[in-house]
Amino acid sequence: MTNSETMNNSTGSSEAVIKVENVSRWFGNVVSVSDVSFEIKPGITGLLGPNGAGKTTLLRMITGLAAVSDGNITVFGESVRNNSSLYSRIGVMSEHETVYQFMKGRDFVKMMGELRGVHDLDNAVDKAIQLVDLADAAYRPMGTYSRGMRQRMRLAATLVHEPDILLLDEPLNGADPRQRVHFQNLLQSYADQGKTVVLSSHILEEVEQLADTVLLIVNGKLAASGDFHAIRAALNDRPYHVRVVSDSPRDLAAALVKLESIDAVNVEADGEIVVLSRNVRDLQIELPRLAKLADVRVRRVEPLDDSLESVFGYLVEG
Amino acid sequence: MGSVYKLTLRQLSGRWRLLITLLLTALPVIMGITWRLIEGDRFPDNDFQDVALNGMLAGVIIPLVTLAISSAAFSNEIEDRTLANLTLSPIPRWKIVVPKLLGALTVSGAFLVTSAFITSYIAFSGDLDAVLAVTAGAAISVALYSSLFVWTGLMTTRAIGYGLLYIFLWEGLFAGLVSGVRFLSLRHYSLTVMHRLDDRLFSTSEFLSTGVVTGAAVTVFVIFLALSIRRLRRMDVP
Repeated sequence: MTNSETMNNSTGSSEAVIKVENVSRWFGNVVSVSDVSFEIKPGITGLLGPNGAGKTTLLRMITGLAAVSDGNITVFGESVRNNSSLYSRIGVMSEHETVYQFMKGRDFVKMMGELRGVHDLDNAVDKAIQLVDLADAAYRPMGTYSRGMRQRMRLAATLVHEPDILLLDEPLNGADPRQRVHFQNLLQSYADQGKTVVLSSHILEEVEQLADTVLLIVNGKLAASGDFHAIRAALNDRPYHVRVVSDSPRDLAAALVKLESIDAVNVEADGEIVVLSRNVRDLQIELPRLAKLADVRVRRVEPLDDSLESVFGYLVEG
Repeated sequence: MGSVYKLTLRQLSGRWRLLITLLLTALPVIMGITWRLIEGDRFPDNDFQDVALNGMLAGVIIPLVTLAISSAAFSNEIEDRTLANLTLSPIPRWKIVVPKLLGALTVSGAFLVTSAFITSYIAFSGDLDAVLAVTAGAAISVALYSSLFVWTGLMTTRAIGYGLLYIFLWEGLFAGLVSGVRFLSLRHYSLTVMHRLDDRLFSTSEFLSTGVVTGAAVTVFVIFLALSIRRLRRMDVP
């Protein structure tokens, strides 16, 4: 059984609001998404994968912006493509940060509210803008906004009709740390109301902090899906290269090599150690203890293959 | 629909776009003034009608200005990737296309119809029959070209290039050389309207009947409007 098969079984049984069944999308001879199936339930779901994996194409098909080449997608039991009435229940924020430069932020949110048939429009607009903490800049043209401000005003426009489903493509691009925290709290409170949030990202930690459930997309295929912690545990069990910089590399190497989960310890010419571990969790716990026992001062610990590509490569190979 | 219409008006009213449009639409007016200064107070002859009304206004200025404005109604949103703001709304596609077309018509029509009115008013010394004929012909021409070029802007990112080929090859060259092409020439429809409303205009030319031109013009307008709605329903929105 592969890692992806193991983790696919971890999906719960509450009612799905988005169903993706055997969906493929190709552009000429290039297959962007290949035979992907999954269900999304209320709560926060992270669509995780390296750049070019097919996340955006998948999200665009879920929103109905792009057609599927094969398969079927339903939202609330209805086909989403050419079903404009569904958009009163869906809010979408694409990855593109372009805005109407000439338009004031508040006018933009108001226009989006009008298009979505929002009642009590002015109150809804004020509420959405306050949610993203941009009331002070609401009457400025969006052309004068910073990247983070544009993203937040776009989020306000996405939230103005209080949709049941939020689909966000790389929403944290351009956000500073304070904005990220604000954004995370906002999405969490949204999910706590029983709504569905789907966000895509290529950054593992970003999804880890937000999502209850993760869909891992690699090379247009669903590599794994389910509870984030199950996937994280699988990641911890994979072979891992770690560079350790210390003031006494040979003593530390001698201590580390005795660990059962360590496959190899190499002392480099520059005095740094590169450790190959099969259990990174074990290494995280044991390294400080062994260093203390050997009276070695550790200056830096650095994962060498923590990129998403290597993580996904491992998961796909199973 | 009001939101999309207002948005389109604002998008198509950039300073440079309006300035260039103003300069282009001023050319027939300048020609009308020049003609009056040289020829004095007499009904314009065939040369003026052929050069200023047919060649310049109907043949170049109206199609060029409507191409620049109408094709941008959608193509700018596609290039900026803002079209999804509209298509992800719970409104039918025709409620996006129609206000976009009306917005393009309003901006280009404001300049072109005014230009046609002032040019003919000056050249025809305020002869109301001739002035209204030229203005109505120009207005119908703007509507037809707008419907065509709004669709072109949805179909391709090279709308300006294809539009220029159409204007100069089809309308400019083939429609003048091959008599059968006139039946499928928007410029010819426009001139026919002018002639039918005032038969002193283009009196030496041959025109289609009023019924044929009316039917053809309505068909062209509706077909390209319907094609735009169909395209917006079927396309992958960036």
